[in-house]
Amino acid sequence: MPSSLISPSELDYIIRGVDDNLRADGRGRLDYREVILETGLISQANGSARCRLSKGTDVLVGVKVEIGSIEIDGTDEEVAAIEAKRGRIVCNVECSPIASQQFAGRGADDINNELTQLVDRVLNGPQGGLNLEKLCIIPGEECWIVYIDALVLDYGGNILDIIFTTIRAALHNTRVPKTVIEEDKEVEISDDVEEWERIEGWELVPISVTLNKIGTRHIVDATVLEELATKAKLSVMVNKNSKICGIQKIGGGSIEHSLLNEMLQTGRSLGQNLIHNLDKMLQKEEEINAKRKIGFFASA
Amino acid sequence: MSRQELIGPQGLRQDGRRASELRKIKCTPSVLSQSDGSSYIEQGNTKCLAAVYGPREARQKAQILHNKALITVEISLAPFSMSERKKRKKFDKRLLEIASAVKQTFEPIIMTNLFPRSQIDIFLQILQYDGGMIQICINAATLALIDAGIPMLEYVCACSAGIVEDTTILELLGTPELTVALLPQSQKVTLLQLETRLHVDKLEPVMKMAIEGAKDIYKHLDKISRNYIEDLLQKSNPHPPI
Repeated sequence: MPSSLISPSELDYIIRGVDDNLRADGRGRLDYREVILETGLISQANGSARCRLSKGTDVLVGVKVEIGSIEIDGTDEEVAAIEAKRGRIVCNVECSPIASQQFAGRGADDINNELTQLVDRVLNGPQGGLNLEKLCIIPGEECWIVYIDALVLDYGGNILDIIFTTIRAALHNTRVPKTVIEEDKEVEISDDVEEWERIEGWELVPISVTLNKIGTRHIVDATVLEELATKAKLSVMVNKNSKICGIQKIGGGSIEHSLLNEMLQTGRSLGQNLIHNLDKMLQKEEEINAKRKIGFFASA
Repeated sequence: MSRQELIGPQGLRQDGRRASELRKIKCTPSVLSQSDGSSYIEQGNTKCLAAVYGPREARQKAQILHNKALITVEISLAPFSMSERKKRKKFDKRLLEIASAVKQTFEPIIMTNLFPRSQIDIFLQILQYDGGMIQICINAATLALIDAGIPMLEYVCACSAGIVEDTTILELLGTPELTVALLPQSQKVTLLQLETRLHVDKLEPVMKMAIEGAKDIYKHLDKISRNYIEDLLQKSNPHPPI
């Protein structure tokens, strides 16, 4: 996380504001900033999305699907039998140095690794939602490998939530071409651009709600300064069916047990709203995309 | 595509450009929140974001220059920027070479002697790549430096050109070519890279074409930054003169 300095009076201002349910930008404790979503903007990728928070965080996700061979590791036969029938998801999160000066040189290595592992764990497990078996082409031999690359372009706080939101949007946007298996077990990709399908189970991909404990209260969607005032962070991954798919406590301080339960409940209910809004935005995007548009910042 | 078919019977290239036509340029200054100056530029299908931090205190004591500012340049390539997904290491040798070329281009232009013992960082992020890495990096950095308000002697604009079958071609993509960075007002060349074999007699026309291209890019960048500043002025003045 970008570690710049915060003065005692700024800190005090933030803590009191949170206490009074009125933050520096006029939001309440559980209000989100406005999210701007665009999909399908990278022409070389099978799916892509970009989410921006007004005057802050900006995340771009590109999804590529490639045919690869199924790799089975471990000697356990039962595990091998399951792995032989599955495709793979490879995640990668990268914080670009243009987002914050803390990410220059090797400065982003730690946070990149932390975020990559977290996203990878959530999406590759059974809670990830995606139907990995549908990604298998020839059991034990060929499968689709889904590469999810997230790039943080601008840092305005709350990157984890935006990364998950963008990944979900990009997976919705992803087109997996249809394949034909020929007699000699050669896999042919259909030439017809119109022949494609979505990755099954994208709607069950969880999103994250990060709650920041400031003083004795907790807030969502923290800005950079608010993150500096945060004692402890709790990220709750929630899916469409209101199931909790992962919990991760990040940062130094500790959370009381009673507050922990409250935070989990808030995270779960807020996550529902977020997914609902995201689905609405995705539907709108699809309608716009049918009319076609190109460019990143050109529309900004 | 064979070289013969590069220019069609109507004198148009595959992407519809004439031989002496630039790719479409789109650019916006000041797109990022955390940096002191930033820019986004699109030349055809090559898209690049630039961020400038500084001048500020040099991060490493050993690097401090006592009479001028230190300039660092870092280029990163998005994993989905090319048609083949390739996870590039951050310290890829080719990228390091381009970064040092960009650094050397800007060192004499930025008035570094005004900021002794400090550091100016230029970060470049390629989002999509379709040829012309050096030129887009230089153009994006120029715009970001202007946005950061860092004093420079003048603009630096880069463009490339090549030759196919006796026809000089502006922004020949995919094949190695001649890249030129130009100081448009004093008409000086600050960067020159030829990556292919070229007959000495042909050098002059190719060079001329690249310089003309750079001048066109300069006009465009200048227009965009002037418009942007005028817009800012208008916004910052609550009572505009009637």
